[in-house]
Amino acid sequence: MKNESTFIDVPAESSSAMKGKAPLIGVAKDHTTTGSGGYNRGLSIFDFLLRLAAIVAASVAAGTMFTSDETLPFFTQFLQFEAGYDDLPTFQFFVIAMSLVAGYIVLSLPISVVTIVRPLAAAPRLLLLVLDTAIMGLTMAAASSAAAISYVAHNGNQNTNWLPICQQFGDFCQKTSGAVVSSFVAVVFFMILVVLSGVALKRH
Amino acid sequence: MAKESTTIDVGEPSTVTKSSSHVAVDEKKKGFVAAAAGGGYKRGLTIFDFLLRLAAIGITIGASSVMFTAEETLPFFTQFLQFQAGYDDFPTFQFFVISIAIVASYLVLSLPFSIVSIVRPLAVVPRLILLISDTVVLTLTTAAAAAAAAIVYLAHNGNANTNWLPICQQFGDFCQATSTAVVAASISVVFFVLLIVISAIALKRH
Repeated sequence: MKNESTFIDVPAESSSAMKGKAPLIGVAKDHTTTGSGGYNRGLSIFDFLLRLAAIVAASVAAGTMFTSDETLPFFTQFLQFEAGYDDLPTFQFFVIAMSLVAGYIVLSLPISVVTIVRPLAAAPRLLLLVLDTAIMGLTMAAASSAAAISYVAHNGNQNTNWLPICQQFGDFCQKTSGAVVSSFVAVVFFMILVVLSGVALKRH
Repeated sequence: MAKESTTIDVGEPSTVTKSSSHVAVDEKKKGFVAAAAGGGYKRGLTIFDFLLRLAAIGITIGASSVMFTAEETLPFFTQFLQFQAGYDDFPTFQFFVISIAIVASYLVLSLPFSIVSIVRPLAVVPRLILLISDTVVLTLTTAAAAAAAAIVYLAHNGNANTNWLPICQQFGDFCQATSTAVVAASISVVFFVLLIVISAIALKRH
């Protein structure tokens, strides 16, 4: 068993400043404020702000649809003409779904804060990405089905003799259309959030 | 300037692998080994991604064509008009056919990116492109499927408050075909969600 020896000449450092340099080989990387960590932290902060905006969009959509009742000023002896979100099952689904979405975003705020504090942790970001994708699907489903019904309400359908009710219920139609637009804005926010999480995941 | 010398005892001779001697070389070797292992499971994920894409192509083409051919003409007619229903009587169904066709062609165009990710499992750019474009297309598919589902629901059940009559009671075949198309599009939405999750997991650094 032959022992090999190697001589390595280490030049003596004259200035004290040089002594502070630690060799990088074999030393664990500092995980808090390297370049990539700072970039990820910026992305997480933007993610957090987008979530706050998405809460506003989702709750405005749900609230506007919920309070979109309208009663027409004329009435017959037997019935009064009124329209509300609960007259159309699709709008009921819309209100429930958008409320769920708003609640989800509020609950996801702590996870977003965790990704700000620990920018290089992958697990919270992956969790957020998966949940955001699912909730984005739900939001889009609610938004587009309500949009389809709004379209029929505005324009009617000749072939099926579905009359456009917006011509009588103007305020109701305006409010529901506004709610639909707000929910589409929430969908755009979610898309950006998903892409942000993907970009942040790749940069470690 | 006094020179300092350090003696480093290099352990066993060359019968043992050279990598066990020096810390720096060991680290590099470890990194290399980790890259190969990480590439293995990512490659498996990407193959699954490719297969999912093929399945999604089949389903979206099926959904679009079923909706496209969903015509029905009722056997009775008056002197002036014949009762028929087709996808082009509903703007929502027109949107459905066009957007699901766009989704199907997107999937075909994304197959090369998927193949590139299989061949180079550690490449980040193709996967990120796939993730972003899959998200956009997921949104489009969900929109088409949900809007068509709302109209199909209305056609099945009608609405008492707005006096919209349920047309499915006359046009049974038409309603069946459109409902099938909506279900197929919803299944493709699930596939897209899976594709996005796979891309995200594969993007995660090893």
